[in-house]
Amino acid sequence: MMGAWAAFADKLLGRGDSAVTVPPFDGALKPNQLLEEAEAFAEAPDAADLASDGSDLYVAQGSRVLRYRNGEASEIAAFDCPVTAICALSGGDLAVALDGKRVRIVGTAREWAGFNAVNAISPGANGALLVTDGSLGHDCGKWAHDLMTLGATGRLIEIPGDDGQPRELAGGRAFAFGACQTSAGDVWFCESWRHRIVRAAGAPVLEALPCYPSRIVAASGGGFWLTAFVARTQLVEFVLREKAYRERMIAEIDPRYWIAPKLRSGATFLEPMQGAHIKTMGVLKPWAPPVSYGLVIRLGADGQPLYSLHSRAGGRHHGVTAAVELGGWLYVLSQGAGRILRLPLAKLDSELRS
Amino acid sequence: MTPILELRQATKKYAGVPAIEDVDFSLNPGEIHALVGENGAGKSTLTKVMAGVVALTSGQMLIDGEEVSPRTPLEARNLGVAMVFQENSLVPTMTVAQNLFLGHEKYFNRLRGVYIAAQQFLQTLNFDVSPTATVSQLGAAKKQMVEIARAVLHDAKVIIFDEPTATLTPEEKKYFFDLVLNLKKRGVSIIFISHALEEALLLSDRISVLRDGKNVVTDDTRNFDRDRIVKAMVGRDLSQTVYGQRKTNARARGERLLSVQNLRMGSMVKNNSFSVFAGQITGVFGLVGSGRTETFKVVSGVIKRDLFHGGEILLRGQNARFRVPAPAVRAGVAYITEDRKVEGFFETMSIARNIYMGFLSKWAARRPLVSRSESAEIGERWIKALNVRAISKDVKVVELSGGNQQKVVIAKSLVQDPDLIIFDEPTRGVDVGAIAEIHALLNRLADEGKAVVMISSYLPEVLALSDRILVSRQGKVVEEFSALEASEEKIMYAAIH
Repeated sequence: MMGAWAAFADKLLGRGDSAVTVPPFDGALKPNQLLEEAEAFAEAPDAADLASDGSDLYVAQGSRVLRYRNGEASEIAAFDCPVTAICALSGGDLAVALDGKRVRIVGTAREWAGFNAVNAISPGANGALLVTDGSLGHDCGKWAHDLMTLGATGRLIEIPGDDGQPRELAGGRAFAFGACQTSAGDVWFCESWRHRIVRAAGAPVLEALPCYPSRIVAASGGGFWLTAFVARTQLVEFVLREKAYRERMIAEIDPRYWIAPKLRSGATFLEPMQGAHIKTMGVLKPWAPPVSYGLVIRLGADGQPLYSLHSRAGGRHHGVTAAVELGGWLYVLSQGAGRILRLPLAKLDSELRS
Repeated sequence: MTPILELRQATKKYAGVPAIEDVDFSLNPGEIHALVGENGAGKSTLTKVMAGVVALTSGQMLIDGEEVSPRTPLEARNLGVAMVFQENSLVPTMTVAQNLFLGHEKYFNRLRGVYIAAQQFLQTLNFDVSPTATVSQLGAAKKQMVEIARAVLHDAKVIIFDEPTATLTPEEKKYFFDLVLNLKKRGVSIIFISHALEEALLLSDRISVLRDGKNVVTDDTRNFDRDRIVKAMVGRDLSQTVYGQRKTNARARGERLLSVQNLRMGSMVKNNSFSVFAGQITGVFGLVGSGRTETFKVVSGVIKRDLFHGGEILLRGQNARFRVPAPAVRAGVAYITEDRKVEGFFETMSIARNIYMGFLSKWAARRPLVSRSESAEIGERWIKALNVRAISKDVKVVELSGGNQQKVVIAKSLVQDPDLIIFDEPTRGVDVGAIAEIHALLNRLADEGKAVVMISSYLPEVLALSDRILVSRQGKVVEEFSALEASEEKIMYAAIH
C-alpha cells in the first residue's frame, strides 16, 4: 500500500522512476568531435556489424559478408536474408546471425534456430558463442518499437563449443545488445533500454549511461570498446513515461517520424522538432538535444569509462553499432551514415586517456 | 604636502593586548593607499580607529594636520572619513534607497524622491541594484555595492574600503576599480584593504604592510612586487606557493560519486546536470548569480530543490533527496559555506565545542550523552591537524582571525569524515599564509580519494588547484575543462557568453 502511494507521489511530483532526467555527458564522456572528424574507411550502406580475426576486417552488409584486405573488399558469403550480426572465431571460422532468427557458422552445417532478434555474437569461453537476442516481441529492424513498447524480453544465450543446446544465461532483459567474455571469466552484456552494462549473473558493471549502449568488444591493452547507437534525451524519456501518448503515436504515426531515438536524422523536415532543436545562422546549436548521435566509449578493465569519441548533434557519423581493433586502428561502424570509419589507436590512447 | 589623514605612534590595546602598536601611517590627498597584511595583522583595527569605531589607546590621529579623536562613525564621517566595512553594516529590512540615505534624512521625506535620487546615483556608479529592493533579498555582491555607494554618496574626503572586492565578480571588480579611479580624480583619498595582492599592486599609489600589529613597510607601489609584499606580510618567502603554477598534472578520475541530473531550484538553478568524481578537485567557477552555490546547497540539503520535477541527485548511484543537511552529513556530504560568519560557526562557542558540534551532527545517534572529554580530545586533534592558531581549544571562535575561523569551519565538516566535500569560496577573506594551508588541505583530501568540490570566484585559485573545472552560467553548468585545456580566457568566456 505504501509502495503504491510512493509511486503515485513520484508520478505526481516527477521523482524516482517518474523523474524525466538524463545523466550528463561529462568526465570521460565529455563531448568532442573525434568520431565526426574520423577518416572514412569505406562506404557501407546497410552494414550491420563488424568483426576482425586479427588480420582482416569482416563486414556484415545487407545479406552478404564482405572481407576487407588491404583496403579492398571482397564477398566471402551471401545469404537469402539480412545478416544482423557477425563474429570472427578463433579457429578462423565466422559466425553470423541470419535475419536475427538463426545463428550459423559460415561454410559449415552448424546452425542454431529459436531466436528472434539476434543483434550480436561474440566468442565465449571454451569455444562457446555468446548471443544477444534483443527482443522476443520485435525483429531486429524494429528496435524502436521495442523501446516504445517498453520491451523487456531480451535474452543472453550461450551456445556451447561442443555444439550442445543453447543455454539462456539471462532473460527478461530490456533489449540485450552485445556481450563479451572478460579476462576474469565473467560475461558482461549491454541492456540498452536500461542504459547499462550488467554481468550475466545479474550485478551491474556500469549504470546510468547517458546513451543506449550497443556492442561491447575487448580492447588491446585491457578494457573494452563500448558503442552506443544513440544518446538519451529528456524528450524521449518523457515520451517513455507517457503510455497513452506512445500508444497513439505507434498506432497513428509513421515510425520514421516518431519521437524516438534514430540511427540518423536531419533528412526530412517532417522529423519531430526536438526542444531547443534550433538553427541559428545556419548552424545547429551545439546544445540541441540530438535525435541521433554517434558515440564510442573506451572502458577500463573495471568497466569504468576512460574516454569517449563523439559525433554530436548536427553531425553525420551517428548510429554507431560496432567497433573493432585491427592493425593499430579502431574501425567503427556508423550505421546512420552507412560508413566505416577508422581512427589511430595510439593517438587516441595518448591524447585522451587521463 | 600635508597628509589628509595621519596616525602617529598609534596604539590600540584590547584587554592589555596590543592589536596595533606604534603604527605610523599617512594618507595623501587623492592617494590610493593599499593596506595589506595577514589576518590578525591589525589592518581592521587601524582602519576602525580612523573611522571612529574604536578609540586609540595612545598616539595621535590628525586630519589635515589637526589632531582629532572621533569617538563614533558619525563623528568620523563629519570629519570626512567614511568606511565601507567588510562585515555588512546595512539594515536588512530597509530598502537600498533607505539605506543609502540613512542618517541623512530630511525632516520630511518623500519616498518616491528618495528612490529617484538613489536610482540616479546608483546609475552614475554603474551599479545594477534596484533602489526599491529590500537589502535582505540582495546577494553579497550587491550588498557590497550598496555599502560602497553609501560611502561615495556622503561625499567623504577619505573612504576606507575593507576587502571591497571579496564578494565581487571579475566584471563587478572592473566597475569597482573604475569607480575608485574616478573618486581619486575627484580628489578623494582612499584606503584599500585587500588580500588580493594583484589588486593592491594594480590600483594603489602606495602600499603599507602590517604584520603583528606593526607597520613593517610603507613604500611606493612601483617599488613592490608580489613576492616582496608576501615576504613582508608573512615574514617568510611563500613565493609562488599560493596560486602558483597552473595545474598540469591532473589526478585521474575515480568513481563517479555524485551525479546531478536536470536539477531545478526556483529561478537560480535551471536544469543543471554534472558529475563529480572521487579523488579529484572539481573547481566550479561562475559569476555571482550563476547558481553554483545554490546547486551545491541543494546537493547538501541546505536548500530544497523544486517540488515538481526538481531533477535527480544520485550519490554513489543511489537517489538522494536531502530536505535538511543532517541526512546529507550522514550520507557523507559536507558543505563548507562561503559565509562562515553567518552559517559557519557558533561564534560565542569555543573552537572545541564548534568542532564537536560537527562531530555530533553525524555521530550523535551513537552517543546518547555528550562527552566533554571527547569534545576536548576531538578539538585538540583537529586544532593540531589543521594548524589552527589559537591560545587554546577553549578560545571563542569569534576571537580568531578569518583564516583560523575558516579552519575551524573546515574542521567542523572534516570531523564528519565525508566523502564529498564542497568548499564554497574556501579562501575568501583569508590571509595568504592560511590560503596556502587550505590549498594544501584540499590537495591532501583529493589525494586521499575524497571528492572535493571547490567553488571559487578567483580564477588563479581555480586554475592552480582544480583537476577538472566546471563553469556555471545562468543556473547550469555550461562547460567543462580539464586542467590542461583550461585558461582564464576560456573560463571567463564560458562564464559570460
